[in-house]
Amino acid sequence: MSLLGGYRILDLSDERGLLAGRMLADLGADVVQVEPPGGSTAREATPQSDAGSYFWDTFAANKRGIVADLATPDGRHLVRRLTLRADFLIESAGPCVLTGLGLGWPQLREVNPALVYGTVTAFGHDGPKSGYAESDLIVWAAGGPLQPNRDEDRPPLRMSVEHAFLNAAADLAGGMLIAHHARARTGRGQLVDVSAQASLGLNTLGRVLADSVRDPRPEWAIVSPTKRTDQSGSGSGTSSHLKKWPCRDGLVEFHLAMGTAVGGFTNNFFRWLHDEGACSDRVAAWDWRVMPKLVEAGEFTEGDMTEVRAATADFLAARTKAEILDAAIRYKLLCIGISDTADLAASAQLAARGYFAAVGEGPRRRTMPARWATGSIEPVELRRPAPLVGEHTAEVLADWLGDDRALSAAGSGEELG
Amino acid sequence: MTGALDGLKVADFSWVVAGPVVGRALADFGATVVRVESSTRIETARMMQPFYDGKPGAENSALYGTCNAGKLGLTLDLKQPEGQAVARDLIRWADVVVESFSPGQMARWGLDYDSVQPQNPSVIMVSTSLMGQTGPAAKLAGYGNIGASASGYQDLVGWPDRPPIGPFGPYTDYVGPRFSLVLLLAALDRRRLTGLGCHLDVAQSEIGVFLLSPQLAEYFDRGTVAARRGNDDERFAPHGVFGCLPEGDEDRFVAVAVTSDAQWRALAAELGRPELADDPRYATAAARVAAGGELADLVAAWTAGQRAADVEARLQRCGVPAHVAASSADWSRDAQLAHRGHLRALPDEQFGTATVEGPRYLLSETPGEVRRPAPRLGQDNEYVLRTLLGYDAAACARLADADVLT
Repeated sequence: MSLLGGYRILDLSDERGLLAGRMLADLGADVVQVEPPGGSTAREATPQSDAGSYFWDTFAANKRGIVADLATPDGRHLVRRLTLRADFLIESAGPCVLTGLGLGWPQLREVNPALVYGTVTAFGHDGPKSGYAESDLIVWAAGGPLQPNRDEDRPPLRMSVEHAFLNAAADLAGGMLIAHHARARTGRGQLVDVSAQASLGLNTLGRVLADSVRDPRPEWAIVSPTKRTDQSGSGSGTSSHLKKWPCRDGLVEFHLAMGTAVGGFTNNFFRWLHDEGACSDRVAAWDWRVMPKLVEAGEFTEGDMTEVRAATADFLAARTKAEILDAAIRYKLLCIGISDTADLAASAQLAARGYFAAVGEGPRRRTMPARWATGSIEPVELRRPAPLVGEHTAEVLADWLGDDRALSAAGSGEELG
Repeated sequence: MTGALDGLKVADFSWVVAGPVVGRALADFGATVVRVESSTRIETARMMQPFYDGKPGAENSALYGTCNAGKLGLTLDLKQPEGQAVARDLIRWADVVVESFSPGQMARWGLDYDSVQPQNPSVIMVSTSLMGQTGPAAKLAGYGNIGASASGYQDLVGWPDRPPIGPFGPYTDYVGPRFSLVLLLAALDRRRLTGLGCHLDVAQSEIGVFLLSPQLAEYFDRGTVAARRGNDDERFAPHGVFGCLPEGDEDRFVAVAVTSDAQWRALAAELGRPELADDPRYATAAARVAAGGELADLVAAWTAGQRAADVEARLQRCGVPAHVAASSADWSRDAQLAHRGHLRALPDEQFGTATVEGPRYLLSETPGEVRRPAPRLGQDNEYVLRTLLGYDAAACARLADADVLT
């Protein structure tokens, strides 16, 4: 059986919460996406397709869709009726918007005390910034991951995909399942409240704590790795440019990692170069596991680093991403070609794991990531394409509300599409 | 009040960020989490910034502190058979095992799911790795920066006229655990109803790719490869991050995003250029995107002479989305985060007060609680072995004498 088979989720969210329901739908829950008659604003999210939005097509997949016009009493009545049958509700309309419509947690808990009510907003439902005008970039700025991510002289950079609310929506799914476990003990539901701003602290690798713990200058982009040794495996304290190397068909990510935990990987790298006759014995002989001590003692100098980097650059420039991946596995290297979406679509690793799948017919057909978890469980699968506006209204009302009496009590004909 | 996960027993063999964050969430809501690590091969996060008082050291990392708060600490040499035996006892005790070793390592120690499941039939094991437990690249080693490369992110952050710089830090370490947690909690629910355990295989790079689903769907449909575009947006302009007056020796920036015609008119008035509000060249979002460069210059010239916080306040007053690019100091002083009680101060023997992030979801009835700071190396060896596993004093002494608890 699927992990969440049998649970009903009423999903009122827009682009800011859409992902949470997709995650739970993938694990088997019956997720019903509620849209206004004109369709969700998530259908306008980028990237846009000829027919709508790839964002909608992917993050509303595996859900069924109904229409309810929350601006009308009938629409609100319908949501209350469905709430009675729902185990979870998800919303992202903004601070107190649904409460103003009689569909907030204080009101719906009266309808269904066992309901887990999940909400995601930019800053929270109350507090000094709850009324802030927001967008994904604004939340990214407030949450912490923007400010340290600079390319030298220019202003900080966001990612060229909007991820502030995606991270928050994934957190919402987790918080709702924790509340579900509480419900299993108490029989009562509760409110699960996610602030995207607070959520993004995790995306700073603890940097948001630097001030609180009095680290006066956490040098997150040190110019030279020999000035203050960076003993992370990922080179989180090292300037990005020092970790990007041109190769024959693109760029390579490679950090000259040092220290007891990770220096061995760099030793492996120079063993590869040496095996290929691409570096001197002298370059190959450095032991990166004790490099912090060598740097401290002045036994490894800026000049040595220049020599090491030159050998690295020359060698990688003549290799392809595929050759580098092969060597990374053989030699155990922290070194990999930088993939773009075309590389991902062609990835042998993802193909071997049955990761992508297609769903839908004709112009609705979409190929997309599907199997994000495996193991000894029923595979995570794409079962249905993202719904058309109101595509499943009649079917969902019949499933959730049962007979015709309930159906007619639920609302007017116009909303039944 | 009962915690949502009171009584849940977790053996946490993971390290750095992507694994430990999962156990941290479970601990916040009542689970007993035993974090297993080596005192000789110090785990990477302990050597990572930020450090208390700026001093590097295995007990000083605030990153380790926030990823492991609320857990018990056990040091164990898993290379020794006696260490593996203790680990097997811990797994027999546990409801949940989290591990993030290179695929195959747990099997070499006889600690993989197939080996331990006969002794604990309903155990749930989460294996979180870079590329997954199977496939030709399963053995690829790496941290989240490798994950960010393998899942498309390194290429998607940067200026169009320069090489990409990638996201800040190991991006797949941030997104992976969010999905691991959801999957684990769903598996725990099935176990509650059926008694069934399972092995869960989460590849951090695959979670990264999943969050690029729209861009992958576009590629498969049209062949369009997603491209980095600085801070520009496809739909909105002006949209960017703008320099303000430096404060001390610190550069300061403010993010501004105009997402509607009304916001544009409000911004034009604030800029002191009310005539632009109704200028047909900027009347629609599409027109503003087409004129993105000149509008960005206009905003940049205006913000350059102001404090970032003042720009944020001025623009928010008239409904234009704006926020300071928050530094760590901004974060610790942020009134909204304080309102939510997000940063948690905990009494700490070493530092007086330890500061960690609070749970990322506020639950109204069974709120999360950070019960103690992260463990120092080996802090709870005695408690874990004697109280949780029921070893007697002689057995503990034998293990200590044989250097197994290292």
